[in-house]
Amino acid sequence: MNRGPLIRKILVYAVYVLLIASFQVTFPRVISFGGQVADLMLVFTVLAGYLFGFKDGAVIGIAMGILRDYYASPPITGIDGKPVVTCAIGLLVLFLAGTVGASFFTVKMNRNVLFAFAAVAFLTLCYKIAGHLAFFLWHRLALGTTYNLTFGDIILHSILPQLLLNLVAAVPLILLLKFAGPYKKGINTALIDEEKGGEQLWLTI
Amino acid sequence: MRGLLRKKWLIILIGALILIAAVVFGAFPGSPLNKTLKPVGGIAAPIQRVVKSAGNTLSDFWAAITDGIAIRNENEELRAEIAELQYQLTQSEEALIRYEELQDAFHIRDTFSNYDIYGASVLSREADEWFSVIRIALGNTDGIMLEAGDSYAVVDVRMNLIGRVIEIDTNESKILPLTHEGFVVSGKVNAVNGAGVTITGDASLKNDGLCLVTGIDPDVILEEGTEIVTSGDGGLFPQGIPIGTIESVDYSDPLNITATLRPYTDIADLNDVFVMVPFSVIEEQTELRESGNLTPTYESEVSEESGS
Repeated sequence: MNRGPLIRKILVYAVYVLLIASFQVTFPRVISFGGQVADLMLVFTVLAGYLFGFKDGAVIGIAMGILRDYYASPPITGIDGKPVVTCAIGLLVLFLAGTVGASFFTVKMNRNVLFAFAAVAFLTLCYKIAGHLAFFLWHRLALGTTYNLTFGDIILHSILPQLLLNLVAAVPLILLLKFAGPYKKGINTALIDEEKGGEQLWLTI
Repeated sequence: MRGLLRKKWLIILIGALILIAAVVFGAFPGSPLNKTLKPVGGIAAPIQRVVKSAGNTLSDFWAAITDGIAIRNENEELRAEIAELQYQLTQSEEALIRYEELQDAFHIRDTFSNYDIYGASVLSREADEWFSVIRIALGNTDGIMLEAGDSYAVVDVRMNLIGRVIEIDTNESKILPLTHEGFVVSGKVNAVNGAGVTITGDASLKNDGLCLVTGIDPDVILEEGTEIVTSGDGGLFPQGIPIGTIESVDYSDPLNITATLRPYTDIADLNDVFVMVPFSVIEEQTELRESGNLTPTYESEVSEESGS
């Protein structure tokens, strides 16, 4: 890649990553509904991976994950019953979101905007289900306590509002990445070259 | 090797395994991994402050436009109110002098007078339902420190309980909010010899901004609207800090009566909080610092090692 586009890519990603992460933890109420907050960090990471490829997804996932852990690391109840501030959980979640998002339906299908929404929905579901499952198992097996959320609570008060919010948040973020994103015309040409000879297809919209 | 690195799923798997190992290793008290994120603050913290400041400026500007007429009317009312308040202030000052005389006379012990109050602005709030630590702008450099096993109560401007400090860094602290499922505090009905209860955060109530009340004596009748305050048991929190009011009570299981409590404060609305540090702790730490046995750097390590 030439130096110009590379610098543009790094600068645009750096600005978006810092602003989006800061905005989410500073004004969560502005983007909340039904007790959930639109997960801009997750959505941006998934979209960067889906629209611009595996490397972008992995790098943005790591950068966003580090900021997530720095700004709002999840406190978990330790085995001694005391809450502990953890590190690297945000990094793990967003690295997986970026890399899996980059591989979502790309083997036999074109990368396109419609499937970008599907990727956001799929990874939001995965994240919420995995999160609840992890907390359930941790409470049940490690702490010997009950995880008080019923299946209905999880669906109605956690997964559905989060899914809705993330899909709504995906609209401006897709526009941002397509029209004011890290690549000219919203297309990663390296991705086209990379996948030309392979079985994968490239972005058409 | 190059061929292997081209396999995306292998990279994902290796990356995930490394990060899972980091999560597990980082959960051990005193793990050096917890320090690795500190340099991030050099860039992330100032940018987040700029975003916060820009957002607040925008919000204020918008409010100035929309509230312009209302503010003008309110201004007139406030002028009249100020005159009234100045009169009341004069009376209150006299009453305060009398109260202090009485306090001295009857040796009334004001619990909160044993605490120093540190004000701090909220830097960041929860990112989602699990990433829920709250950062405030108060750290070792402000003279506040946290020793192993200690924690400080965090209250709002009306002295209502918000949460507790679980980690103190050089320039900022992390707060565990009242509604988080790891939060536990002993409370009591706000009455003379009020019944004791236990207030905890609960996963199913968190999204509604509620807490769970357990440990309710079967002989005690809790009613909707009953005020619960800290009992002082356990020693972490002083007695009498208002927590919230009972919203509903479930008597269906006489052996396990539970209730829900609505905290007085919604942390999402707060810009400033106050940390209550006992004077005894401050004196102890000042002595240690003066003797060279406690430095801010060491203190950060201590707080991390304690993990709470």
